[in-house]
Amino acid sequence: MSKILLIEDDEVMSTIVKRILQKAEYQVDHVRNGKEAFEILEHTGYGYDLIITDIMMPYANGFEILSKVRNIPDGRQLPVILLSNAGMDDMIQEGLKLGADDFLKKPVLPAELLMRIRRLLNKEVS
Amino acid sequence: MNFSLLDFLESIFFEFRYAPLIIQVAILFVFVAISLTLVAYFSILRRRFRGFRRDKNVARLNELIDELLIDNVLSQDPESVETPGQTAETAAQAFHLPQFSKRRGRQVLIDRLLNYRNNVRGAMGDEIRTLYLLLELDKDSFKKLKSRKWNRKVRALNELSNMEIGVADVIILPLTNSRNRELRAAARHAYIKLSKNEPFKFFDLATEPLLLWDQVELFRIITTTNHIAIPNFAQWITYSNNKSVISFCLKLVVHYHQLKAIPAVLKLLDTKDHLLRAEAINCLGKMKIADAEDKLAYIYNNQPLNCQIEILKALGRIGSGKHTEFLKQEFQLSTDFELRKHAAKSLTNSEPPGSELITELLETSSAENKLILKHCMNPLIKF
Amino acid sequence: MQRIWEIAGNIFESTVFIYGSVLLVSYAALAICSLIAVRRWVMSEKYQGGDVLLTSPLAPGISVIAPAYNEGLTIIYNVRSLLTLKYVRYEIIVVNDGSTDNSMEQLIREFSLVPVDFAYNAKIQTRPVKKIYKSTDPVYSKLTIIDKVNGKSKADAVNAGINAAAYDHFVCTDVDCILDENTIIELIKPVMKEKNKRVIAIGATLRIANSNVFDQGVMVGVRPPAQLLPRFQEVEYIRAFVLGKMGWTLLNCVPNVSGGLGLFDKEIAIRCGGYDHTSFGEDMELMTRMCRYALDNKIPYAIRYIPKTLCWTEVPSTVKVFGRQRTRWARGLAQLMHAHFSMFLKPKYGKMGLVVFPYNFFFELLAPIIEFAGIVYYIAMVAMGLINWPTAIVLLVFVYTYSIMITTLAILYDQITFRYYNSWRDVALLCLTPFLEFFLYHPLIVFFSLRGYYFFLTGKKSGWGNMQRRGFQVAPNRPA
Repeated sequence: MSKILLIEDDEVMSTIVKRILQKAEYQVDHVRNGKEAFEILEHTGYGYDLIITDIMMPYANGFEILSKVRNIPDGRQLPVILLSNAGMDDMIQEGLKLGADDFLKKPVLPAELLMRIRRLLNKEVS
Repeated sequence: MNFSLLDFLESIFFEFRYAPLIIQVAILFVFVAISLTLVAYFSILRRRFRGFRRDKNVARLNELIDELLIDNVLSQDPESVETPGQTAETAAQAFHLPQFSKRRGRQVLIDRLLNYRNNVRGAMGDEIRTLYLLLELDKDSFKKLKSRKWNRKVRALNELSNMEIGVADVIILPLTNSRNRELRAAARHAYIKLSKNEPFKFFDLATEPLLLWDQVELFRIITTTNHIAIPNFAQWITYSNNKSVISFCLKLVVHYHQLKAIPAVLKLLDTKDHLLRAEAINCLGKMKIADAEDKLAYIYNNQPLNCQIEILKALGRIGSGKHTEFLKQEFQLSTDFELRKHAAKSLTNSEPPGSELITELLETSSAENKLILKHCMNPLIKF
Repeated sequence: MQRIWEIAGNIFESTVFIYGSVLLVSYAALAICSLIAVRRWVMSEKYQGGDVLLTSPLAPGISVIAPAYNEGLTIIYNVRSLLTLKYVRYEIIVVNDGSTDNSMEQLIREFSLVPVDFAYNAKIQTRPVKKIYKSTDPVYSKLTIIDKVNGKSKADAVNAGINAAAYDHFVCTDVDCILDENTIIELIKPVMKEKNKRVIAIGATLRIANSNVFDQGVMVGVRPPAQLLPRFQEVEYIRAFVLGKMGWTLLNCVPNVSGGLGLFDKEIAIRCGGYDHTSFGEDMELMTRMCRYALDNKIPYAIRYIPKTLCWTEVPSTVKVFGRQRTRWARGLAQLMHAHFSMFLKPKYGKMGLVVFPYNFFFELLAPIIEFAGIVYYIAMVAMGLINWPTAIVLLVFVYTYSIMITTLAILYDQITFRYYNSWRDVALLCLTPFLEFFLYHPLIVFFSLRGYYFFLTGKKSGWGNMQRRGFQVAPNRPA
């Protein structure tokens, strides 16, 4: 069972994503901001198979999290999906440049979310 | 001065009765001040108490709603192609609770459902909408729309348009020219989103300027609503008397990359309003209209600064290389710092860093111009 | 002889009486205007969240300018907190005003900064800029750091930031101010919602951070200050912002946007020559010049305020530092009135000349003087045994209850905007503060104001020498 870290400060959004992932039998940990994200990542020794992160959050934004993960040996290969609002195309470009593997626009399409996760997780295996 | 308290009070009373008017007024106001202060205390107390209770209530309800939704709607397999509405029906059963029979509870439910719908698309999003309908929450919304208070109408319009519940044009259209700013905006948004016939009709009718803030909201609705048929914006760019509508259409032309509207934009270069002209130039640049380059370079010298800057930017964006000489000349000869900077920026955008021209300019320019060039070539500096 | 004294006394008494009545009436009027403005804002906020702007390609760009001088202890957290502001198109410009601590080294290390060839255009003259840094880490691409020679004032530092700013509007703040994450959205909203006027400045409520709980530059708890002096200031700030500024905003007569946080139209600010580094009240001074510029050039303008608290700042907690700050503000006010006196009661300057300026002149500048004169007069009367005790007491009680009422109303309006503070105790504590304010805090203000005027008149310099070095640590955030 793959472990996914969800970093998202919006309550409803995180409820939805968490539920979709659990339904698809992933193990999900959810944190609400950059600080908690760093804490849980350190604590677990980057023990996740995939990270889904929002972009604008307190303490550290999604890009900082992404960049920090990329600068750590354990995290270099860790797939990261950005959750962004529709219309933030510039930000998505910026995120992809920083090494995000994929992005999802809100409102999310559950099937799309799962498809992208599977693709990334399978890529990693093969 | 050793009188007792009673004497003192008596003397005050005596003073009041026979005091000059000023003192009587002052004493009167002392009482007014004291009572108003007490009223203020009471209001603070009441507000806090009510707010506290409401927050607690809403939090509790939200938790309940989340639970019910997780069990009933979010539990469906996101990839299955079940007949839509089936899960919603069972969910609707689950929501038949006393908490959701009163108006307040129903409002919390509506708000939460809207929130969910804004976060999830596809079958799951549709389920949320079906649930809203099955629970007859749309009736609540329509009731609010009939209310005389503008804020309730705004709320209703938001709910109906986000849930995509059709509302007759005759109800919405008059509201789009309402005197109340918030209501007018909400009505326009709802109209664009819900109108089956001509969602852009109010562009023709809009007499009031479209505020920048309204444009942001409209832009979002237009670009995120799927079924809207995008018209040719040239009709408003050419014929509208409302400058803000023209300006907004230019932004939409860029977003939809609407090449068929370009002739109208080109014509706009002759407008007297320099702010609008600058926006037209900006639009041409972002669309990378190579045919416009000659005209832009031609009119350059007669333009005010903001249009000149836009022309330089546009030439850089189009980047055909045809006007490199022009940019170079502006960079070397212009007296205005901003113009030189934008010329340099456009040059460095279209020329590769090691190119002959850039090397030449780097060698021959003044110290300040050299700094400008380096500034523009530095990938760390965006502007 | 006796007769002359009597006449003089009568004239004085009636003047003070008329003055006082007008003052109290205008407070009442402000309270009413403010209530309308606050309610209007709350209503329109309810249905229009700022979230749309977060995702819009139409969002206007904003440059956030934050000067810093020897803030080494907190600078990293503070800059990080600026970087988490919620907005799409913005840049952060931190101006290191020749700090003598290791601020610059810390910044370079933390954000992987490198000096860049920046085409800095000194549209406003400032002390020389040494270097401009950008981060090599693309995560921090929004960040620009200007390292400049100390200009002995916040004004000079902000001016350098304005020169480097890329966007049309700039937010001016302080590195040690803690901003709400939605600050930019809230401040730009009034600009985008204004119909026919050019909004040249927008301000928001400032609040005291002395007892707030911070965690890595993020605020996690809001409390009224525990110490008495800061708590007096909290009450004063609430009154000045929520009641005062909001009242004025309804009339489009806002006299000043505080230096702690404000959004400004860059073009007009530059055309006016930016902040004046010789001023002791540079924020109000710039505002006055911007209005004057707009009026001289017939630009219909507006200055707006929003009642929401977006900025938390630390205020002096000792009487000594507090006194320094207020003396400086008073001096700045006197300076400003002197420099722009030509606007006084000139119809050409519209509301600025007919309302804002006279109001500030009579009720801000002259108030401490008249109050002081009044006290002296009463003491003299007492000494001569001429006082009518009951009348004097009635008037005193009247002024006392009135001032408590005004302050309590301000606290109420503030609570309408948002339910600040978590516990009832905190609010009760705040409501009790005005009872003491009159006796303890107000005399201090009168005293320091008079000192400021005295310094202004004598042009005293020596006393400022050592504290002026760090002028803006104590004086950025005037509420009035």
